Amino acid sequence: MKKLSSSLIVSVLVISFVIGISLAGLAADKKKVVINSYMADPAPKETLKQLVNRFEEEHPDFDVTINTYPHEDYKTLIRTWLPSKKASPDIVTWFAGERANTFVDKGLMMPLDDIWGEGKSFEDYFPKAFKSISQFEGETYFLPQSWYWYGFWYRESVFDKLNLEEPVTWKQFLDVCEKLKENGYTPISIGSKFRWTAAAWFDYFDLRLNGADFHMKLMKGEVKYTNPKVKDVFEKWKVLLDRGYFLDDHTSYSWQEGAKFLFNKEAGMYLMGQFIQDVVSDEKVKKDLNFFRFPIIDASVPIAEETPTDGYMIPKNAPHPEAAKEFMHYLATQQSQWFFADNLNRIAANRNIEETNYGPLVQKGLRMINRSDKVTQFYDRDTKPAMADKAMDQIVKFMVNPGQIDQILQAMEAQRKKVFE
Amino acid sequence: MSKRRVLWIGSFYLIAIVISLLWLFPLFIAGTTAFKSMNEIVQNIYWWNLPDEFTFQYFAEAWNQGGMSRYFLNSFIITVPSVVGALFLSALGGFALAKYRFKYNKLILGIFIAGNMIPFQMMMFPVFEISNVLGLYDTYLAVILFHVSFQMGFCIFFLRNFIRTIPTDLLDAARVDGSSEFRIFLQIVLPLTKPALAALGILEFTWIWNDYLWGLVLLASDNLRPVTVGLVSLQGEYLSKWNIISAGSLIAAAVPLIVFLVFQRYFIQGLMMGASK
Repeated sequence: MKKLSSSLIVSVLVISFVIGISLAGLAADKKKVVINSYMADPAPKETLKQLVNRFEEEHPDFDVTINTYPHEDYKTLIRTWLPSKKASPDIVTWFAGERANTFVDKGLMMPLDDIWGEGKSFEDYFPKAFKSISQFEGETYFLPQSWYWYGFWYRESVFDKLNLEEPVTWKQFLDVCEKLKENGYTPISIGSKFRWTAAAWFDYFDLRLNGADFHMKLMKGEVKYTNPKVKDVFEKWKVLLDRGYFLDDHTSYSWQEGAKFLFNKEAGMYLMGQFIQDVVSDEKVKKDLNFFRFPIIDASVPIAEETPTDGYMIPKNAPHPEAAKEFMHYLATQQSQWFFADNLNRIAANRNIEETNYGPLVQKGLRMINRSDKVTQFYDRDTKPAMADKAMDQIVKFMVNPGQIDQILQAMEAQRKKVFE
Repeated sequence: MSKRRVLWIGSFYLIAIVISLLWLFPLFIAGTTAFKSMNEIVQNIYWWNLPDEFTFQYFAEAWNQGGMSRYFLNSFIITVPSVVGALFLSALGGFALAKYRFKYNKLILGIFIAGNMIPFQMMMFPVFEISNVLGLYDTYLAVILFHVSFQMGFCIFFLRNFIRTIPTDLLDAARVDGSSEFRIFLQIVLPLTKPALAALGILEFTWIWNDYLWGLVLLASDNLRPVTVGLVSLQGEYLSKWNIISAGSLIAAAVPLIVFLVFQRYFIQGLMMGASK
């Protein structure tokens, strides 16, 4: 009996190995493309899968595999794949701008200059403005997929009830906060358990007070954090904290938990990316959500907005670069870009998609960006990871202890010296 | 019973109950979350509330759309040979270290124990490199081999101490009868070590089944992943389907539990074995 059970186990193992090997063998004569993806959020994951299915229907000689990784682990693991000749995938999902540049600098990525088709170039597909986040040292390395905008989200029914208008200036914004507070709402919700929600605030104050050029210099480590202009950022922010406009105990909520206060009409406004719409499954709440631009503080500063952009790259060690480039071409086309954006309410990077194709809220976001002078990515996408990690700790610390601005600035400056000098 | 004794027993039970409740609390949260719709999870901040309606929909979704059925099989394909391999090799090693006298015996044992002290995470990159060079990257074999070798340190230590308690006279008697050393191992040492092997087997099964790191580092293809890695890949940048992840975790946690319940008789026996000596 005992012998029988052990031989049963052995035979099950042998059979499963054989099946595994023969399944791998079946696909061997097709053109293989392996995509490693961080799109683990349910909706984008499904959309990418459908994009691949459509491609395989059009090109039956292709076999495209997606390996999805948990988002945070992906950022660590990609450092093991890229330098490896054996473990490298053909395509990786990645972020535009500084984060892409980090890998290009180390010579880990492949230029994409020959994927556009006969006589075409990057500019036939994407707006000129995308060059700065996709091209490095004169060559294109990054294929933009889609982007989204940031804004203050609110519930129309709450604003209607209190007779509030979307504020445009700083003063109007303070009035709205005050009115919300008087009527028993928490004016501003935030969940800063994961620190990036607070980093958005830092970015916006810096963009509104000091402008995008100064902000990008700061991100590149060319300006000291002890510069009085950076102190202004925290002083302005402190006004809101001192008046108690922010949600209590926000450090114990994730961004999603912070959003519940907005959805339940306990809080009035939430500075957040467009993906906040992905979380609402209640149609009534979804229809009631609207957003406005981060208020203008100094009218003489050119308006800048944050537009984090996601896309794809081909690693230098990709085992099937030719097939990967064919798939990349497909990803850049108007049809694929529209399919992705339309499914997820994002804005496609492809320039040939008409504004009128989008839904009303997306159109509003698109118009807001078109009327801006500059765009940036996001704090932890624009600066070096080691800098972002320490600085975001300090930013959250500021929200809890607004009195310690000077110590906080010194800690950020010490890290800037360590990372950039 | 004296008053003091009642007080003593009472406070013991009180503390035991409090500690058990604390330990069960995460399980309770996973249990309620697995039945809630995403809408309810997102909108209702009181996560300790019971779900509005009980539905097994999310268990089904975890199994089908979540890909759990495939991950589940993978976990078995990885865990069973790893446990069997680690136990068999460690029993051989433990036998040699316990019963043969040779130079550097203690040193070899020391190396196995010392290897136990090194945190796995430190070896992540070297192991990744080795699996690349050997061409094992992204195969079941890579994970199985590394589990077997990493678990051997602890297993050899445990089994060597156990096999030492077997009287050497028994082995000598077999030698006098002309039995080969390997036959002595198979027919005398292994059967006598059974309680220890069963206890160790349960522990190893649980550890390997719950492993996350090696499955993540050594496997790339989605269709080779064990259940731990598969479940976590449902966690996104902004959104995670907590109901499906919870339902999947509960299914995954059931397996070590069943293994434990089936073999618990041996488990307690095996652990007691050392204590009563």
